[in-house]
Amino acid sequence: MPVSSDVPQLALKGIRVLDFTWIHAGPSATRILADQGAQVIKVESNQALSVVGGPASNTARGLGQRHNWNAGKSSISLNMKTDAGKELARRLVSVSDVVAENFSGRVMPSWGMDFESIAKIRPDIIMLSMSGFGRTGPWKDRVSYGQTLQAWSGFTDLTGFPEFKPSGPASAYSDAVGGMTGAQAVLLALIQRAQTGRGQWIDVSQMEAMSSLLGPLVLELSSNNTDVQRTGNREHYGRGSPHGVYQCQGDDRWLAITVFADAEWEAFSCAVGSPEWAKDDRFSTVASRLKHADELDKLVGSWTADQIAEDAMHLLQQAGISAGVVQTGKDMAEDDPHLRERGIFQPVPDAGGVMRTIERAPYKLTLTPGEVTKGAPEFGADQDFVLREILGVSDEELAEMAIAGAFD
Amino acid sequence: MAPGDLNLLESGDSLRQPLTGIRVLDLSGELGVYCGKLLADVGADVIKVEPPGGDTMRRIGPFLDEADTWENSTHWRHYNTNKRSITLDITSDKGISLFRRLADTADVVVESFQPGYLDSFGLGYQHLKDDHNGLIFASLTPFGQTGPYRDYLGSDLVGFAMGGYMYVTGWPETPPNKLWGNQAFQTTSNRAYIAILIAIFHRLATGDGQYIDVSMQEAVATTTEHVNTAYNYTGESAVRCGFRHGGQFVATWQCKDGFVSITTNTQKAWDDLRGWMDRDGMAGDLMEEQYDDRFILRGDHGSHIEELVEAWTLTHTREEITEWGQANHHPWGPVSTASELLDNEQLWDRGFYQKFVDPHTALEVIYPGAPYKMSELGWRLVSQAPEVGQHNNEIYCGELGLSDDELQESINAGII
Repeated sequence: MPVSSDVPQLALKGIRVLDFTWIHAGPSATRILADQGAQVIKVESNQALSVVGGPASNTARGLGQRHNWNAGKSSISLNMKTDAGKELARRLVSVSDVVAENFSGRVMPSWGMDFESIAKIRPDIIMLSMSGFGRTGPWKDRVSYGQTLQAWSGFTDLTGFPEFKPSGPASAYSDAVGGMTGAQAVLLALIQRAQTGRGQWIDVSQMEAMSSLLGPLVLELSSNNTDVQRTGNREHYGRGSPHGVYQCQGDDRWLAITVFADAEWEAFSCAVGSPEWAKDDRFSTVASRLKHADELDKLVGSWTADQIAEDAMHLLQQAGISAGVVQTGKDMAEDDPHLRERGIFQPVPDAGGVMRTIERAPYKLTLTPGEVTKGAPEFGADQDFVLREILGVSDEELAEMAIAGAFD
Repeated sequence: MAPGDLNLLESGDSLRQPLTGIRVLDLSGELGVYCGKLLADVGADVIKVEPPGGDTMRRIGPFLDEADTWENSTHWRHYNTNKRSITLDITSDKGISLFRRLADTADVVVESFQPGYLDSFGLGYQHLKDDHNGLIFASLTPFGQTGPYRDYLGSDLVGFAMGGYMYVTGWPETPPNKLWGNQAFQTTSNRAYIAILIAIFHRLATGDGQYIDVSMQEAVATTTEHVNTAYNYTGESAVRCGFRHGGQFVATWQCKDGFVSITTNTQKAWDDLRGWMDRDGMAGDLMEEQYDDRFILRGDHGSHIEELVEAWTLTHTREEITEWGQANHHPWGPVSTASELLDNEQLWDRGFYQKFVDPHTALEVIYPGAPYKMSELGWRLVSQAPEVGQHNNEIYCGELGLSDDELQESINAGII
């Protein structure tokens, strides 16, 4: 039955996620679910406190990453090396819809928490297992960080300028991709469960998620005898020039400019004041501009050198040219009027009431916009709520479990 | 059997995928075409609506067998698997009325025109939702539907620049650099796909559809890992630092046969690394106590250590170093080149790559497979990309009820 659309609704309200994930990819997957109203319970351990983004991250950036990827979640501490800890985890499975983890393949089975075992506790459970290489195959026990996967999947060698060593993506693109992929698969499983009543096991290999994003290159390599190399800021299959970044006035200020069709070139020439060089025959067609791209890049750079990057962007955009400032962290947080109006950053209170800036979900759903009301939880902050109110554990039992080391 | 419909399986409940029964009209260009594929690969009936004559994405190379035709674009072929194709001029009166009839049968519309473009033909969400409360309508644009830059144009490169990913990618001595391929577009599609799945789940419970606004700039900006948190929590913008990731010692080193990625993410990894260098008599002074703390690598000694490490890596192959690291549970790996991607034994063992005989070139073409493996039926590659208007007859006559004459009239008038 359709319900009233007047109040914003939470699409995943009533969905409970038991979240064993850590570091980046896993927590960013479950943050996507938390944004939409899922109750995400982080199961943390004293063993992993110093990992970047972990509860005890001692750098400002680590703190920022912890809040960003764990906002809106609850936290309990369980020592899974004790029988009492494992027993509590199993009881939590019985009241959860999703179990998420991104350990190496040996860990969950060693706790008796492999998919078969937890499906006996809760038959329609959805289990998300995320790993570098997947849970089957000759490399299933290999370990990886984002950078390892970027290297192994080809992204590192392909990202950079031909005359320099490959730089690869600056940060862990593969972890962000893993997070998106994991959340997508859980949503698909929830949709499937709503129709069939069945749960399932999801095996995300971040290597495979990354390889999917090379898309057309896979087809090309399988059919054409080509030697594909990194191309800087030009497209692998060039469709236009200029296509690059050009230095502007100031310290390390750059403008990205892309011009494709001839009509765009004419608009561009006009916008930059119709200099003599823009009328040169060498630049009159897409093909000739591509052929003389190196010379054209120098000439465009000679124009941008005197420009303020933001002003040049507005000038070119008003002429119908795709151009954008190469924005820094500061540009985005403080100077970009568009991001400010769109509200991409959101302050949320941490446990002590200090406001912490997190990124908002990068999509606006009109009916179920989602919401984040708090930053990342303190380590073990929700022990009482989870154990007493969700599981109904008595004081006596709690005391026994504590003595048995379940929370150490 | 039509050329694109290879490997067709019989329908039935045993083949029910997560989105079986969901119909999607895919009007999108390069920004959203991957979103349509993601939906089609998990069972949605995705109808690519091409302008008469064919979509210009078919002109994006490289081309299979280097044969430059409207059917051989690797770009088109990859991003349109499992879709059906119709042609329609949505700017004509007849086209508008046909599109409205199609939209009544659809669950989801995906589009990536400039804000307001579809509204100008009466085909925006506002126009379609009145008769169709369950409709989910996703708009993917460079900068979103609101805000001062809403009408600005955005290529993949501009998305990377404005989203803050580019400034930090590259070496200090190079200009800012984009990631290889069209990752800004794909990230936007990945984000939109998430939003659409949320909306579908909500509709299952309530029957209500909704409008979704996705901005490429925001999709990129929330994918950078450290750019925003670095500034928001330290007050300083992150800068380009090549392989030095996040101040940790994550590095790419030249070795005998290419490059290798070494991460000294734990004390043991650092001790193992300098121990192996020492074993080869190449540790220099690194075994001294002053280098014991792995965080020394962040400090002033960085370049001294780098020289020694690279002198050592140059005496070994990628495989040797990778194996030593992996055997000790360190996340080390080779930097693979493009030509090595199809040799990955793990991807083949798990059945990631999918082979199809291409109907146009008769070549065996390899496609990337599932981004996620699900124990229930999830991702499937059923058919290769459609030819221009391959399903016109099937959809207009077979499903929408046009007569053969009506279809022919519209074809003659250049509407289909």
